[in-house]
Amino acid sequence: MNRTDALRVVALAAQAEMALVRRDAVAGPLLAQASRAADGTPAAPPLAEAARLVRAAPEREAVRQAALSLTRMALHEAEAVVLGAAG
Amino acid sequence: MARVLGQDAAVLGAAGADLEALAQLEAWARRSVVVPGDAPIIDAHVHLGIDRDGHALSAEDLVADMDANGIAAAVAFPADEPGVDGDFHEANQRVADAALAHPGRIIAFCRLNPARPFARALDAATAAGARGLKLHPVAQGFRPEGDECVAVVREATDRGWPVLFHAGFGARPLGDAFAGLLRQVPDARLILAHGGRGDHRALAAATAAFPNVLFDTSIAALPDLVTLPPERIVFGSDRPYGDHAQALHLVGVAARVAGWDAAAVRGVLGGNLARCIGPVVP
Repeated sequence: MNRTDALRVVALAAQAEMALVRRDAVAGPLLAQASRAADGTPAAPPLAEAARLVRAAPEREAVRQAALSLTRMALHEAEAVVLGAAG
Repeated sequence: MARVLGQDAAVLGAAGADLEALAQLEAWARRSVVVPGDAPIIDAHVHLGIDRDGHALSAEDLVADMDANGIAAAVAFPADEPGVDGDFHEANQRVADAALAHPGRIIAFCRLNPARPFARALDAATAAGARGLKLHPVAQGFRPEGDECVAVVREATDRGWPVLFHAGFGARPLGDAFAGLLRQVPDARLILAHGGRGDHRALAAATAAFPNVLFDTSIAALPDLVTLPPERIVFGSDRPYGDHAQALHLVGVAARVAGWDAAAVRGVLGGNLARCIGPVVP
């Protein structure tokens, strides 16, 4: 993942994180977008699972919290690339 | 598998989750941090009880999550449940009882509203075994540099207690606020939660000359953590707002980005906090 691609994932994952915190229905589409943007990177598996979870049961609190955890993992993986760490 | 990512696996399964995939991601997150030798991992930031916002965590679920994630001990304090008199008396007692029920695993901090008379609450918490104080300027609506907060931090410091402050989400600038507090109580041992993400650059500058001020990693921002000296950082999960696997993953990524060596990682995971709060096993 180059830094431009990573920055795109950072932006989408950070928006999705706040949408999940705010229990906003836009979290689902944002996670789907972030998952596609992260395809093939270490951030992709947690984002894909978070998107799948939220799509399946967006109203469940346990789902929201698990999706938050996965989204933060992906966010930090993408941020690491922006900050210049080896992937 | 009873729990995954800090949640009841049965509830997630009923919601259609792929539990095997979640367990694999949780294990991947845990593996992100290389724990040097047998370094004990101590969590600096856990809420017990039922918060006004609905988040909840019991001592039994906390210990189950700690066991699953290799967490040796955790500092716990009440969720935002101040009670009818507003002084957190019942909530502090419940956390103290949890610490007594899980000796060496749960370390009780008490929680107060500095705007309320605090002497009785501090005495009761001391008698119940509390070893530190948690303050939340946003939830309880006070200023860290205000006279009431300065008084309670001075009293806690005189008792030899560290004070953990919420320093995350919030509108007010924090650099001058904590500089003002530290001018008045320069020997205070403070733990600024969430890596000080509420105003990180100003907080890092304002506290740079105070080695007794630490930052916890709970729901922190990666760019904030990697710009701090690792000896100023302590591991935290923010359970139940965060979970242990994600919190460990953040430390692993920060170590990779900042190039922390094994000694630094050992300090972040528990050594730095142990120096601040004293021996974990009573």
